[in-house]
Amino acid sequence: MKLRVVRARAERFGGIVEVERPRALLHVDRAMMRELGHPESPLWREDAGTDAPLSAPTEVHIVLSRRCAAGCSGCYVDATPHGTALSLDEACRILDELAAMGVFHVALGGGEALELSYLFDVAAHARSVGMTPNLTTSGLGLTAADAERCRVFGQINVSVDGVGEAYRRARGFDGFARAERALRLLRAVKQEVGVNCVVSRTSFGNLSAVARFVRDLRLNELELLRFKPVGRGANLDEELTPEQARRIYPLARWLMLRHRIRVKLDCSFAPMVFWHRPSARAAAFWGVHGCVAGDVLAAVAPEGHLMGCSFAGATTIDARVPSAVRAAWPSAFASFRDFVRTAPEPCAGCEYLRLCRGGCRAVAEAHGSFSDPDPGCPRVQEWCARNGARTSVRANRSSFSLPVVRG
Amino acid sequence: MRKGRVLRATFGCNPNSSSLGVDVTFLLLGATFASAIALLLGTFLRRPTQP
Repeated sequence: MKLRVVRARAERFGGIVEVERPRALLHVDRAMMRELGHPESPLWREDAGTDAPLSAPTEVHIVLSRRCAAGCSGCYVDATPHGTALSLDEACRILDELAAMGVFHVALGGGEALELSYLFDVAAHARSVGMTPNLTTSGLGLTAADAERCRVFGQINVSVDGVGEAYRRARGFDGFARAERALRLLRAVKQEVGVNCVVSRTSFGNLSAVARFVRDLRLNELELLRFKPVGRGANLDEELTPEQARRIYPLARWLMLRHRIRVKLDCSFAPMVFWHRPSARAAAFWGVHGCVAGDVLAAVAPEGHLMGCSFAGATTIDARVPSAVRAAWPSAFASFRDFVRTAPEPCAGCEYLRLCRGGCRAVAEAHGSFSDPDPGCPRVQEWCARNGARTSVRANRSSFSLPVVRG
Repeated sequence: MRKGRVLRATFGCNPNSSSLGVDVTFLLLGATFASAIALLLGTFLRRPTQP
């Protein structure tokens, strides 16, 4: 067996190589880069152990539009039927720039990306410049012809926040049958099809049914995404309770073993995972991190702004302007990148700080301060309970009156 | 000369607005398994292409 390297780029520690089968990104040291025949990089003259960010993100989420007819009650981009969208030309220009920087993957989403007539042209362009396009969709309007064209994507995940009636309760409309049909159409043409499930206070109790659904349709992954109180979600009282936050990691493990499916938790769940004290060495090797916005990850808004991630860190940098992202990247996102160095307690004293990075910045920002520890972290909650620290939480989120630490 | 090493591995692609945080499947298997996988991946990366 030989792992075929399809793309590689140098980093201070060595480099990142993309292999095709199994599809993976591998961080390797300088010696391995040399063994693989990569030319010497100026980056290798710098300190390999530095905490400096990557030379470019490995993945970028392009929010193609705020356009979607579904009207989900918790939509984080506040999408509407006539929302803003990047044009095909703008999207292609952004892709050109990202490819030149060495970005490996782009995640296309919205809004509902399938509502854009040029979605497949955008995906084809990403392929043509060497990046893997991936897609998140509600699947609501997907036709058999669309499914066939979806071969151009790497991974496609369809949003299913509950099975049957639970879908309606979670999203505010009855779309489960259409989402299931989309999944069946997609699975008929490709293997890399999975489910995204937003884990909210309401949907938490129905995760087993979603996992069974993923198994029954022979999908390749279930990705559990933490509910974040941004966009229209800011008006909902759906953040996990402290008890649910403690249970999510054991539950994900149980779902994986019970249904024999691949289960992933998004980066914002990192504090809930590290509270269970997993092996830090294993976590580092498998790339288990908290907030990697402005480092591993970046996002582009439909208005063209570069962001740390799709939920937070909007900048004034216009990604549609040639070379703007490349020029800004080394010094942008200081507020994300400095968190580990400047973290307040209890993050400062946490052995997992360099991995967890203080949890989700978007959630912290939604609760009052971007630079606070994540208020959903069980460790933060325990620390605050011991120290009597507490902060006011907006009235409409009174049932999530968790204490937040001020640095 | 010291042989090169694989430092980190992430499998699959992330289609989401937030980054891939935890692949439960792999994290469950611990540090020893991760070390073994690193060695295997290094071996398979170095292996010359079959003519």
